[in-house]
Amino acid sequence: MVQYNFKKITVVPNATDFINIILSRTQRQTPTVVHKGYAISRLRQFYMRKVKYTQQNFHDKLSTIIEEFPRLDDIHPFYGDLLHVLYNKDHYKLALGAINTARNQIGKVAKDYVKLLKYGDSLYRCKSLKVAALGRMCTLVKKLSGSLAYLEQIRQHMARLPSIDPNTRTLLICGYPNVGKSSFMNKITRADVDVQPYAFTTKSLFVGHTDYKYLRYQVIDTPGILDRPFEDRNIIEMCSITALAHLRSAVLFFLDISGSCGYSIAQQAALFHSIKSLFMNKPLMIVCNKTDLQPLEGLSEGDMKLVMEMKAEAMKTVIGQGGEATDDEGVLLTMSTLTEDGVMAVKNAACGRLLNQRVEIKMKSKKINDCLNRFHVAIPKPRDQKERPSCIPQAVLEARAQQAAEKEKRKTERDLEDENGGAGVYSASLKKNYILANEEWKEDILPEILDGHNVADFIDPDILMRLEELEREEGMHQVEDDEDFEMDGKDLTPEEQEALAAIRKKKSMLIQQHRVKKSTAESRPTVPRKFDKSREFTAKRMGRQLSSLGLDPSLAIERARSRSRGRKRERSPERGDAMDVDTDESNKKLRLRSRSRSRSMSRPPTEFVPGAGFKDSEQKVKAIKLAKKSVKKRNKNARRGEADRVIPTLKPKHLFSGKRSIGKTDRR
Amino acid sequence: MRLEKCWFCSSTVYPGHGIQFVRNDAKVFRFCRSKCHKNFKMKRNPRKVKWTKAYRRLHGKDMTQDSTFEFERKRNRPERYDRNLAENTLKAIKKIDKVREDRAAGHHTLRMKGKKAKKQREEAKELEQGITLVKAPSVLQEEPSLTLPKIKVKVSHQESQENRAMEE
Repeated sequence: MVQYNFKKITVVPNATDFINIILSRTQRQTPTVVHKGYAISRLRQFYMRKVKYTQQNFHDKLSTIIEEFPRLDDIHPFYGDLLHVLYNKDHYKLALGAINTARNQIGKVAKDYVKLLKYGDSLYRCKSLKVAALGRMCTLVKKLSGSLAYLEQIRQHMARLPSIDPNTRTLLICGYPNVGKSSFMNKITRADVDVQPYAFTTKSLFVGHTDYKYLRYQVIDTPGILDRPFEDRNIIEMCSITALAHLRSAVLFFLDISGSCGYSIAQQAALFHSIKSLFMNKPLMIVCNKTDLQPLEGLSEGDMKLVMEMKAEAMKTVIGQGGEATDDEGVLLTMSTLTEDGVMAVKNAACGRLLNQRVEIKMKSKKINDCLNRFHVAIPKPRDQKERPSCIPQAVLEARAQQAAEKEKRKTERDLEDENGGAGVYSASLKKNYILANEEWKEDILPEILDGHNVADFIDPDILMRLEELEREEGMHQVEDDEDFEMDGKDLTPEEQEALAAIRKKKSMLIQQHRVKKSTAESRPTVPRKFDKSREFTAKRMGRQLSSLGLDPSLAIERARSRSRGRKRERSPERGDAMDVDTDESNKKLRLRSRSRSRSMSRPPTEFVPGAGFKDSEQKVKAIKLAKKSVKKRNKNARRGEADRVIPTLKPKHLFSGKRSIGKTDRR
Repeated sequence: MRLEKCWFCSSTVYPGHGIQFVRNDAKVFRFCRSKCHKNFKMKRNPRKVKWTKAYRRLHGKDMTQDSTFEFERKRNRPERYDRNLAENTLKAIKKIDKVREDRAAGHHTLRMKGKKAKKQREEAKELEQGITLVKAPSVLQEEPSLTLPKIKVKVSHQESQENRAMEE
C-alpha cells in the first residue's frame, strides 16, 4: 500500500549539502585531468561531460524527491486530509512545485551551456563556461533551501505517523477530553498510551491492535474533541475529525457519566449531536465510562433523558444497516476502565457489530459473486425419513460433563495466590503435587551440600549395603595394624635436642638479620662501627654473647673498657670501676629512657590541617614524599644535613695512583 | 547448587567463588581462585606443580585408589525422594568421610616409615656442624659433648659495691 511507505521516503538534504554532494560526485566520477595542448574537441568534450553529468545528477535527485513524496490527491482521502490538517496542502504543493521548476530550469541551463560549449575555442573559455553553468545550477538549488528544509521536516514527521490501514476493520474511539479513551485503549490493546489527569494528554492519533474471533482489529485513539464551531477547531481536534470522517469504522462515543472529566453530560450530549453527521453508515456505540464513580442507574432525570436521546440516535444507525431493530444491547453499554468491569463486553460488542456490518456490505457488493461460487456447503439428500442423530459414546458425554463441572469448581493456583495475599506475599508450594511413597515427605528439605560434598552424589539405593561392606573392611584393616615402630637407638638426648633447637634458632636469627640488612640497605647509612649510632656494640653485649658461648668474658670486657676509656681513667683505678660503671650505666639508662619515651597519639604527619600551607592531604603527602626523597641520599652517606659536605679522604689513593687497564692517566 | 572441583588444584569450589572458563571446544574449566586461573593461563601442567592434588596423586604422596572414592559419583538420573534413604545417606557421608581420612592417615604413615633413620642422621650432622654457633671451640675442646655450654654466672665485686651504695 502506498500509504505505508511514508517511512521509505529518502532523506531530503538541505541546499548546501545537496550542492556539495552533487559537485563532489562530479569531481570524483568524471575525469579530472585536462591540459592546454589537447585537441579542442577533446577539451570541449571534457567540459560538456561535466556539465551534463551535474545536470543529470540534479535531475535524478530532484526527481526522486518529487516522486517519493505522496501526491495528496492520489492517496486515500483519510491520509490526504490528515496531511492537509497537519502540513497545509498548499504549502506542501508549493514546495514540491518549486522543486519541480528548479529541476526544469537546471535542465534548461545545462542545455544552453552545452550549446555554447560546442563553440568554445580555448581551454580557458570552455572552463569558464563550465564554471558558469555549474554556478547557475547551484544558485538555483540554493534558492530552494527553504523548500528543502520544509520537506525534510515534513518527511520526518510523516515517518512517525501511525500506520493506519484505512481499509481494514477499525474501531474509532472519540469523545470529550479526559473521558477515558486512552485508558480503554491501553486495556484492550498493547499500545502504551499516556494517561494523565489533564485534558489533551493525547495529542495525535494512536493505533493499537486487538483480536476478536481470529481477526485483527485496529483500534484508533483520538485526541478529545471540544464542542466548537468547525472553523475554530485546532489541529489536534482536526486530526480526530478527519479520522472520523474518512475511516470506515465502528465508532465508540465515550461518555463520562460521572462528570469527573470536567464536562457535564449536557455538554457531551451537545457535542454528540453536533458531530452526529459524521457517524453516517458507521456502527455507533455509546459507551458510558467511569461507572465505578457513578452508576448509570443513579443518573438524574435530565441526564438520563439526554443519554436516551443519544441512544436513539445510535439505534438509527443500527436500523439503517438492516440489523435487528430490537437489538438495543449493543448500542448503549456501560463500563469502568479502572475496575475493568465491562471492558471486554464493550470490545466484543463493538467488534461484533463491525464485523456484521462488513460482512453484510460484502454480501451486497458485486465482488461477492466471484467468491460465492467458491463457497458450497454440500448437504447429502436424505435417503429416507429415518432420524440419524450423531452418536456420542456415553463415556465421552460423562467426561464432558465432568470437565464442565471441574472447570467451574476447580480452584486455580492464581485464585489461591490472590486469597493468600497476592503475588508478593504468597509463594506457591511447588512440592504440592509430588508423587512420593509417603505423603508426609512432601515438605522435606534435603540439604544439597554436606561437609564439602554434594549429597546428590552419594544418594544410592544400596548405600547401606555398601557402607556395611566398607565397615567390615575397615575392621579387618585395623586388626592388622600393629606394626612395629622402628626404634632406633640413635635418638638425640634432650640436651642435644636443646642444642639443636638453639642452633636452628641462631641460624634463623642470622638469616632474619641479614634480610633486614638487605632490605634497609637503600636507606641505611653505611658507616664504620666506630660511628655506631644505635650503640649496639657495647662491652656488655660482648660479654653476654661470650658467656652464652661458654667463655669467661671478664678479661675481654676489661680489656675493651681499658682501651675505650683512654689514659685519664687509668691513672686512678682506685676510684673504682663502680662509679664509672654507675655513671656509664646511668648515662646509658638515661639515654634509653629518653629515647624510649613514646608520645601519646599525636597528629599523623599526613593529616591535612587547614591553614598550614597545603591545599589538601594529597598535596601534603606528596610534599612529604618529596622531602623524604631528597633526604634519602644524604642519609645513605650519613650526612647530618645539606651543609654537611665533609669529604673524609681528600685524596683517595685509588683515584690518584695506579695504572689503568683501559684509558689514559694523563687526567686524574 | 553444586560444589565443583577446581581444574588445577582439585580443591572444592564453593558457590560464589572462583572463575569458570569455557573454551571454544565447549570444555569448561573451573578454578577456585585466581592463583589457579593464572597458572592455567600460563599453560602450566598441574601434574608438575607441586602443591596440586594432581601432582600429589601422581607422585604417590596421597592416596589414589580406594573404595571410599566410589561412593561419590556424579549421578545423572535423579532418584525419587525417600526420607529413609536420605537420612541414611547423610549419616553415611559422615562415616565414609571418617573412613577415608583414616585410610589417608594410614597411607601417610606408611609413606613416612623408614624416614626416621634418615631424619636422625640429618639432625646429628646438623648438630655436629653447627655446634660452634652456640659453643666456643675452646669450650668444646674441654667438654666435647654436643650440648649447650654451661653459662658462668659472674658475681662481680662491682655488683656488690652497687648494692652497698644502694643500702646507704
